[in-house]
Amino acid sequence: MSNKLEAYLDEISHFLSGREEREEILSEIRSHILEKAAAEHGETGDAAIDKAIAAYGPARKVAEKYLDGRPIIAPAYKRTLFRYTTFLFAIHSFLTVIAVVFKEDFIFFPFLFMPRLGVIEALMYLPTAFLTDLGVVALVLFFITQSGKDVKLPWPKFAVDLDEVKPPNKNFFLSRIGTAVGAVVMLAITDFALYLFAKHHTIFFVNLDFANPRPLFTPGAGRRLSMIVIAMLAASTMALLIKLFTRSRWVDVGSDIVSLGLIGLLLRQPFDGLFAAEIAGRLLPKIQYWAKYTLLITLLFIAGTVTIDLIKNLVIIGRKKLAKSA
Amino acid sequence: MTDPDIGSMETEMNRGFLQILVLALLEKDMYGYSMVKHIEGLGYKVEENTLYPLLRRLEKNGWITSKWALGEDRPRKFYAITADGRAMKAGLLEVWDNQNRILNEIKKENVHVQ
Repeated sequence: MSNKLEAYLDEISHFLSGREEREEILSEIRSHILEKAAAEHGETGDAAIDKAIAAYGPARKVAEKYLDGRPIIAPAYKRTLFRYTTFLFAIHSFLTVIAVVFKEDFIFFPFLFMPRLGVIEALMYLPTAFLTDLGVVALVLFFITQSGKDVKLPWPKFAVDLDEVKPPNKNFFLSRIGTAVGAVVMLAITDFALYLFAKHHTIFFVNLDFANPRPLFTPGAGRRLSMIVIAMLAASTMALLIKLFTRSRWVDVGSDIVSLGLIGLLLRQPFDGLFAAEIAGRLLPKIQYWAKYTLLITLLFIAGTVTIDLIKNLVIIGRKKLAKSA
Repeated sequence: MTDPDIGSMETEMNRGFLQILVLALLEKDMYGYSMVKHIEGLGYKVEENTLYPLLRRLEKNGWITSKWALGEDRPRKFYAITADGRAMKAGLLEVWDNQNRILNEIKKENVHVQ
């Protein structure tokens, strides 16, 4: 028996792995190739078998002809795969922010274990969470597809229309006027903040008298918070400037991720002993109490908004890729 | 006008045609290679690696049966049509005739329009 024929059959066998009738299929192919080699080349030597194998086709292509059954995920659920993954990831991202802010780990047994995370750990954790969410949704859709049943999966209506993919504005200059104005304004704000920081080592004040400014926060906290806020302003400005040259949603994704990281850093700052002693006086305990929670809620709200924007951008990128591949 | 690329469309059309062709051929017992040669002799080409999966599907549906014959120089697997297969073939040929009739009618109508 030709070694080449056996090697070819082995290769087909590899791609047919798991099929009950594999041996029978291989016997059919063996019989056909030997028959063809003998009939058309008068022998069953290596050269004749090589020709017969070449005519029969590459092993993977041959195996795939036997595997053309049900797809792993039905085309009707392709969109669902992305929608549900996005939805799960949004919940995951929100819980990650909570875990970072409250410095606690928590368990929703048996669905979720959220470990106590720092900002950097959280940023490392989110891609893993995304892959897990994608895997879980893909697995569920796989089982639904294999069951062959027409399962109509629900999808809630959100205020943000995740299906919206706006047609591109044809006019290059008109479409960028808004971006250019935004970039100029943000550049001015960032420059002004940098000027204030260089002069006073903070950008937060309780009065608007620049001749004799009174800082809102203690020097150390003021410096740290100012640097983070200036970094956020710079990131937004940079994103707007880049968007003058490209429409890519990846710019928004990058900007959102940087913003989330910086908000995370803000949330990690200690909120106790934050305010400068001069403004505190007898009201300090009260101010500290409500200011702490107002600041916390505001930052969480901003983080939530940025997360929604991030997910919306990822969905639109994903939908565009799906539309291209269809 | 350039020649249209009918490759993928032809593959789609062949899918149904091959099933009728094989069911029609198997009124007498044949093995895979002999079917390929017979079809080639009729002026049509069937890919070898397409024929065997098709035979397997037809057999799974109970429209043909197969058995190995070990008496020759080498083992050959012979296929034959079943009663269910004959009923299926008759139904498919009826569909085929009807489709042909419709297309011919439209071709005639188009000739009048031109």
